[in-house]
Amino acid sequence: MKPTTGKADVWQGTLALMALKTLEALGPLHGYGIARRIEQTSGDRLAVNYGTLYPALLKLEQEGYIASEWGVSDNNRKAKYYKLTRAGRKQLEREAREWEQATAILARFMSPGEEHT
Amino acid sequence: MRRLRAWLVRWGGLFNKRRQDRELAEELESHLQMHIEENLGRGMTPEEARRQALIKLGGVEQTKEKYRDRRGFPLLESLLQDVRFGLRMLRKNPGFTAVAVLTLALGIGANAAIFSLLDAVLLRPLPIRDQRGLVLLQWHAHKGPRFDDYSGFGDCEGRAGPNLKDAWSCSFSSPMFDAIRANAKVFDGIFAFAGPERARLTGNGPASMADAEIVSGDYFNVLGVRAAIGRTIQPADDAVSSAPVAVLSYGYWQSAFGGNRSVVGRTIRLNDVPFTVVGVSEPSFTRLSPGKTQDMWIPRSIFPRVGFTENWSKIESPGSAWLAVVARLKPGISRARAEATASLIFRNELVYGSKPLLEAKEDPRISLIPAQEGLTGSRGEYTTPLYLLMLAVGIVLLIACANVAGLLLARSAARAKEIAVRLALGAGRVRVARQLLTESVLLSVLGGLLGIVFAYVGVHAVAALISGGSADAFPFPVTLDMRILGFTAGLSILSGILFGLAPVRQATLADLTPALKDASGGLPVISRAGKGRLSIGSVLVVVQVALAIVVLAGAGLLVRTFQNLKDLDPGFDSRNVLLFAMDPALAGYKTEQIQSLYQSLQKEFGALPGVTSVSYSAIALLSGGYWRGGVKIEGQGDTVDVDLQSVGVRFFETMRIPLLSGRTFSPADFTNDTSMPSMSSSTEQPSGTTPAPISVPLPVVVNQRFVQTYCAKQNPIGINLSKDGSSSASGNGTDDKTRSRQYLVVGVVGDVKYAYLRTGILPTVYLPKNGGGAHFELRTAVSPQSVLPAVRSVIARHDADLPLFDISTESEEIDKQLSRERALARLSGFFGGLALLLACTGLYGLLAYEVTRRTHEVGIRTALGAQHWDVLKLVLGRGMALAMVGTVAGIVGALGVTRFLQTLLFGVKPIDAATFLAVAVLLLLVALLACYIPARRAMRVDPMVALRYE
Repeated sequence: MKPTTGKADVWQGTLALMALKTLEALGPLHGYGIARRIEQTSGDRLAVNYGTLYPALLKLEQEGYIASEWGVSDNNRKAKYYKLTRAGRKQLEREAREWEQATAILARFMSPGEEHT
Repeated sequence: MRRLRAWLVRWGGLFNKRRQDRELAEELESHLQMHIEENLGRGMTPEEARRQALIKLGGVEQTKEKYRDRRGFPLLESLLQDVRFGLRMLRKNPGFTAVAVLTLALGIGANAAIFSLLDAVLLRPLPIRDQRGLVLLQWHAHKGPRFDDYSGFGDCEGRAGPNLKDAWSCSFSSPMFDAIRANAKVFDGIFAFAGPERARLTGNGPASMADAEIVSGDYFNVLGVRAAIGRTIQPADDAVSSAPVAVLSYGYWQSAFGGNRSVVGRTIRLNDVPFTVVGVSEPSFTRLSPGKTQDMWIPRSIFPRVGFTENWSKIESPGSAWLAVVARLKPGISRARAEATASLIFRNELVYGSKPLLEAKEDPRISLIPAQEGLTGSRGEYTTPLYLLMLAVGIVLLIACANVAGLLLARSAARAKEIAVRLALGAGRVRVARQLLTESVLLSVLGGLLGIVFAYVGVHAVAALISGGSADAFPFPVTLDMRILGFTAGLSILSGILFGLAPVRQATLADLTPALKDASGGLPVISRAGKGRLSIGSVLVVVQVALAIVVLAGAGLLVRTFQNLKDLDPGFDSRNVLLFAMDPALAGYKTEQIQSLYQSLQKEFGALPGVTSVSYSAIALLSGGYWRGGVKIEGQGDTVDVDLQSVGVRFFETMRIPLLSGRTFSPADFTNDTSMPSMSSSTEQPSGTTPAPISVPLPVVVNQRFVQTYCAKQNPIGINLSKDGSSSASGNGTDDKTRSRQYLVVGVVGDVKYAYLRTGILPTVYLPKNGGGAHFELRTAVSPQSVLPAVRSVIARHDADLPLFDISTESEEIDKQLSRERALARLSGFFGGLALLLACTGLYGLLAYEVTRRTHEVGIRTALGAQHWDVLKLVLGRGMALAMVGTVAGIVGALGVTRFLQTLLFGVKPIDAATFLAVAVLLLLVALLACYIPARRAMRVDPMVALRYE
């Protein structure tokens, strides 16, 4: 029911955040589009299976942060489109803020020399 | 919040699976197509484009699996899957499933039924709102106080004869109750009660008999019982000057007054004393002591005025102990402190009161017992049989579990290969174990469901059986409530785990290689069994046989007890005797009037067609009532305790009790008696008159036991006896109680069982009956009940307001006395038979399975020249060896267990060689049959077929 390892937790968490951010930036989008976008933004350095995205999207949908509906893609293909809900937008703000705080703390932690000199 | 939402959605994910799976497949397909198109755009070949897209996705099935994990609850889903799979397996083997479910249902149903009864008898709380702090007062002393009169009404247990060692009881005198109530400030409230007493009720249609409980004024208030209509009895009603009032029980109000609300304010007459009905108690309050009921309650202070019988003449005296006392502790007062306070008052009154009854050195004291525990009522007579039956059905359930375990084991052996394959393919042992456990729990739950049906049917049948009539005769309300269902559910799941464990252990610990190699599919452990090692299956069979022997041995003893009692000669001819009672004294008849009424009734009854002989006595034989008192024998020192009975003329002839020497009573013995002016007793003034000294001794008849005990060397005829005033009685033999006079023995008759079949025969003195209520005995040439209408019309000609009660026959009385023994014999016999059947089914199952598994071996043996006899010996020998080991183990177990039956047995010792032997032989014979069927099949194995069977 819950991912069992810490590593997966982190990945699931960040992946969800990236998906939310993508949807905020690009508007309604299908799974493949979200996956491609994340890959491109990360500069192709995130080499993960696209498949892991779908359970993450399902979780976001179950929590009510995103909604989905079937639509037609640019090249006339039937695809499931995800879009951000109002709750999702708030959640994104909250998570982005937390993320910034966490990275700031981590950044200071990783370069302790600066503070003490 | 979000989590809850996600959780709810996931629950939703359990349903609509097919649609969701299709959507996911479509989504992934469109994902792949977009990726492939992009890859094609980069110039890949179509094959390469698809391969790369799949690699990048990480596999379609893997993605789906992860997605599904997130969608619903994987653990739950695998459980559902196990259940579905289990159900499919059960459906595939309907024979196995039916036998297993039926076996378990019998075991579980029997347990639930007996537990329901145990619950009804022992565990139900008092039917009041709040029983916190409610205690029963019980006195203890090193020696019984010298009470003049002592009686109990079966509300609680006790033993309290004068000078009896270590006496204890819960009967108190009226002044003692008043003293404790006035002085014990540790109680919030305290009340006394006694009865019910039977009274003649008029003023509501034809005269009838009604049971009235006598209560002190605080009874309802302390219990917190309210009135359904009108009001309850209040302290003001319990004063000597108060107007007589009565409160009806709800049930009696419904049955006798049709639930008519106008009953409040109406006047009814109890023994011709007018009572005003002031209310009806609330419906839930049916009783205080379990198993006792009453039609109404009346205040204690009015009771003496009702003049029930002259026995009650001294109920206000300190020497007359008859009230049970219950109190409610003040909050914050400990039981120990309340006991100390109550003991002090009790001791003061008993030792230093107006009438000292005991010395201080005998340490009289009070203990306070929680009311639910102390008020045993008629619980006691059901407790032992029910615990016994609970034990028996518990063992039957164990056998059922062992049986089903054996079945599962044999089946899991057949499935060993399947399981080994699953394990070899990497299924977790835990997962396989869970699957097997799910199957067994599923079986037990099905068994449990069917068991509830059995229990529902069984509980009323069993209740009817042990109370010796209809289920209504069982004095405790029996319902299958949530507790019983919980008990049953727990029991079935527990048994499921219990019998599921063995196959699981075996399946998951199995060494895979031989199982995979073994073409016949036998499980390694089992296949070794044939070579002499004891397998789990054999152990299960031995255990079953041993347990069955224990149940059978107990059942055998109880059946023999019943037989012994049934074949017992009570000393008189019990066939075709109609019994009924009347008490003209309650209707205001004087003794002389009663005597002449009885004489003319006797004559008129005797003239009825079909009636051959008529008599009457104070107490009907074998009705449970008796009258016991002390007599002094001329020339011998001490007063001796004898059974007393006063009878009418021709009593011995009517009951066919043989006259051994001397003579029986003649009419002259009675007329002589009635002519004595001092013998008249008026019921309105129960205090009565003290009899004047009488010069002519009263003729009496004694029984053989009396002669054997007290007249070893002399001719009993002509011996003089004298009787002192004190006597104790139970039942309604209530006349002639307090006379002190001289007796002359004129005859000796044969011994008869007096109150109970089970108790021994005491020396008995028969007196000519003089006044009082009587039980008539009519010996008939036709069915006794058929003359009853004629009897009624004879009585109606004399006095239409004279109710008959205790209508019965001697055969019915004997049946009633044997009801518990009959029920125990039948039920334990039934459970014994069930145990036998199950154990032998287990044995059969094991052998049948082994024969099937060893068809090949038998074929080879036959081909090599083994004769039918050798094959038969092979199978029979193995089966009977198991049965014998089990029998010996069972007999050893039974030797240890049957002594708990001691109190229930009659005429047979707990360790009875004949019974044990019979049980062992019975089991071995049935076992032989169970072995023979598979053995015959083994004998018929055609070597050609068996060898080709590979």
